[in-house]
Amino acid sequence: MCGIIGAVGHGADTLDVVLDGLETLEYRGYDSAGVALGGDTLRVEKRQGRLEALREALRGREFGSNPVGIGHTRWSTHGPPTDANAHPHVDEAGRVAVVHNGIIENYQRLRDDLEADGVTFTSDTDTEVVPHLIGRFLADGVDPETAFRRTVDRLEGSYALVATVAGDPRLFGTRQDSPLVLGVGDGAYYLASDVPAFLGRTRDVVYLDNGETVVVDANGWTVTGPEDDPVEKEVTTVSWSAEQTGKSGYEHFMIKEIHEQPDALRQGISGRFDDLAGRVTVEELEGMGTPSEVHFVACGTSYHAALYGVELFRQAGVPAGAFLASEYATGPAPVPTNGLVVGVTQSGETADTLAALREAAARGASTLAVTNVVGSTAARECDHALFIRSGPEIGVAATKTFSSQLTALNLLVESVTVSTADQTRELIDALRTVPDDIQQVLDETAAERVVEAFGDRESFFFIGRGVNYPVALEGALKFKEITYEHAEGFAAGELKHGPLALVTEETPVFAIVTGDDERARKTIGNVKEVEARGAPVVAVTDGESEVDRYADHVLDVPASHRRTAPVVANVQFQLVAYHTADRLGRSIDKPRNLAKSVTVE
Amino acid sequence: MSINTAVVLAAGEGKRLRPLTTNRPKPMLPAANRPVLEYVLDALVDAGIEDIHIVVGYRHERIQSHFGPTYRDRPLTYHEQDKQLGSGHALLAARDAISDDVLVVNGDEVVTAGIVDDVVDGHGANDACTLAVSEEEQAARFGAVRLDGETVVELVERPSEGTYRLFNVGVYAIDPSFLPLLETARGDAGELALTDGIAAVAERGDHVRGVRVDGLYSKVAYPWDLPALTVSLLASGRIDERETEPGVYVADSATVADSATLYGPVVVGEDALIEPGAVVGPDAAIGRNVTVESSAVVRRSVLDVGVRVGANATLVDSVAGEAVRIGVGAAAPGGMAEVRIGDRVHDERLGGVFADRAELGGGATVTPGVLVGPGAVVDPGVTLRRNVPEDAEVRG
Repeated sequence: MCGIIGAVGHGADTLDVVLDGLETLEYRGYDSAGVALGGDTLRVEKRQGRLEALREALRGREFGSNPVGIGHTRWSTHGPPTDANAHPHVDEAGRVAVVHNGIIENYQRLRDDLEADGVTFTSDTDTEVVPHLIGRFLADGVDPETAFRRTVDRLEGSYALVATVAGDPRLFGTRQDSPLVLGVGDGAYYLASDVPAFLGRTRDVVYLDNGETVVVDANGWTVTGPEDDPVEKEVTTVSWSAEQTGKSGYEHFMIKEIHEQPDALRQGISGRFDDLAGRVTVEELEGMGTPSEVHFVACGTSYHAALYGVELFRQAGVPAGAFLASEYATGPAPVPTNGLVVGVTQSGETADTLAALREAAARGASTLAVTNVVGSTAARECDHALFIRSGPEIGVAATKTFSSQLTALNLLVESVTVSTADQTRELIDALRTVPDDIQQVLDETAAERVVEAFGDRESFFFIGRGVNYPVALEGALKFKEITYEHAEGFAAGELKHGPLALVTEETPVFAIVTGDDERARKTIGNVKEVEARGAPVVAVTDGESEVDRYADHVLDVPASHRRTAPVVANVQFQLVAYHTADRLGRSIDKPRNLAKSVTVE
Repeated sequence: MSINTAVVLAAGEGKRLRPLTTNRPKPMLPAANRPVLEYVLDALVDAGIEDIHIVVGYRHERIQSHFGPTYRDRPLTYHEQDKQLGSGHALLAARDAISDDVLVVNGDEVVTAGIVDDVVDGHGANDACTLAVSEEEQAARFGAVRLDGETVVELVERPSEGTYRLFNVGVYAIDPSFLPLLETARGDAGELALTDGIAAVAERGDHVRGVRVDGLYSKVAYPWDLPALTVSLLASGRIDERETEPGVYVADSATVADSATLYGPVVVGEDALIEPGAVVGPDAAIGRNVTVESSAVVRRSVLDVGVRVGANATLVDSVAGEAVRIGVGAAAPGGMAEVRIGDRVHDERLGGVFADRAELGGGATVTPGVLVGPGAVVDPGVTLRRNVPEDAEVRG
């Protein structure tokens, strides 16, 4: 998973524009970075490590005016993060520079062919075959655009590519299963993995489809299809503003995004109710009937949202199951007639989830993407798309997008299943209240104090039941992602079947108990089990039950509708993870070994 | 003189506005349907200021989350004042931002671009400081100013006598040479006000200019200022929502039942719901996601995000913070009130003041001028005559 950017029409500012773009793309990977400035000659600089190392290498150097520039921030898939493996990659003559996101699956065969022809490779990457192929076509007297197209014809796999050729003031780009968008400015154009990379410069965007090639120079752009046929593309204006991508005075994106949740959730429900009629009216879902069965496919945090969606569908009487996308893609469950497969993916580019959705579609299932990114691959490939409207999320650890996913799943279930107007009114009321309840948690949380009491332990457990079980899993995932401490989430009732052996005085247990029904009472029974082993207990509770009697610390949440209570309770876990990681001095927004959107399988 | 940079002072809590400021700083309180600070930033942007710095402190995350890194495409830079030790101390928190002449504006008062323009235009190369002054009968409520021509000869932060006619609007242009002197100025009781620095500059013999301004100006100092300010903002039309008929502003995503009545001037925010038979306005501001249930009456009041007003309830001259719940048939009828703030009693027009998430039970009645703390719960049927502390429960 990598981020790519290309800029056209910025003259002497080209390098700055490219570096600025890379900075916003760093969330896609940050183990090495590089730039190439095109024009009459090609200048390439690349460095292992964070973008800062590249900036340092470029400091004080003069590059003059350049018609085009490209840049790349890398996340290793083939070969370790080294200077040599960093992009851009060039051909032997130094005429062609290429940046690439994705995996070229037939690269070994291509490389063998090239090496047999006497080409010397300088990196371990799959990408390097691309500039060498283009270079060979150029050497045969082919013009640059044709050389690019012929090269792309030979590639298999997933890729977004941007290339430049010395002596040519154009950029060439294409995509197949990896994201690439075109930004249309005033006499300046951009190609990038996502919109925020150029959001400070233009909001007008063209979303490219698989197999399309774009050619850009300072005078304009053209898009053509796989057969070189011209394609009419629509320019859309994104409503996100660059402001939403800055840190705005917060120390980390994560805490900023945690605080953005009330607004993000208000945005998520805006205009999606007919209050007077007591109906949910989600434009994207109009005309969808009740499915006979629902399969969710997702990874990581989105998988936890999927588990919550399963619970909602089951409560509405529709059989449902959640599957890890990477498992489903290679061994899918049988799709029943009239079944619906729902992919939950924040970026809409998660390779595992896309593969699972494609597998389901191939088997005849109707597919739905629940995603944050309009124009993402998942949104465009699925039969339906439901947008969670969370706004850009930069912190690698998902926070507000998880809350938005849970809200959106409520809208989904309410839209496609049958319920009375009164039930719907109750849910609408609950969804309208959630943002206020989260604001209350943010205003009054004791998470920081709890962290001071327990933050130094080395193993942490999170338990919950029913709709709170996914929240326990998510609480543990958030915790391990950013604190690097061991954390596990369990269904509360499962503790005694094994994990209880791990519970000691040294292992704090976070229990989430909302309401006062049978599930709550049984979870309190599990709390007593760990209490008896001397484990410190932190209860996240709305005070309806008596769990506080057995807890060493309580993190309060306001009483909420039983369906939406987990959305609110989860915020306490986000804050616990954040403050623990902050105390430990972790790299909160960019945890080690992790990247934001995982665009490789 | 042309000035490009402004520093907005928004770090203060606003103790006299408690309990509304329990969870947010004073500049984030709502006037009409927007935080007061938005009007300040609008005035700066409209006056052509390119670079805006905000000094934040108390509950700073509320400001940062609301505005993010830019406002109307102008970059915002935040400076944190760790302890709130006065407006002068606050300005020093942004000292890195000041290399040329800058504007300094309080974040808790609505001003117009015209006022900002007048100060910028009046500020000359030889002025250490220029401040906007205006006429006001109650100059004692604000800082008072005495002028000789255009020269400020006296500046009193909290005048005890009512003999002043001019007051300090709180919009300043300052020369960078002002800062070193401000650093060494002495304030009262460990607090350093901007006016302490200005007094010291004047004492040294530097020129401090006073520019007379007019236009909508309003400082938010007490709870009753919020409905009053809402009245003047609605009258002046500084409202973002779409004007559907003269004086009636309704967000596109709001729902207003056919049989509900909106009396202008009135504003209804995004995703708000006005149920059948409700009567809203005149002079009411209905915030985002607010529900006004059937046959409820809301007049000359400000309802913040997520408030729910029960069927048949009545709110007049009132202020409701976030997610306040007003029960079915409850009433805060408003009118002239004796309002107890700290140990002083003020005679003002005010209904009920409900801080964030307070709950007023069905059929409860609120005597004019009562302040209900955040999260407090008032049982149904209670007649409330005294202020209620945070999270308290008032039983029937």
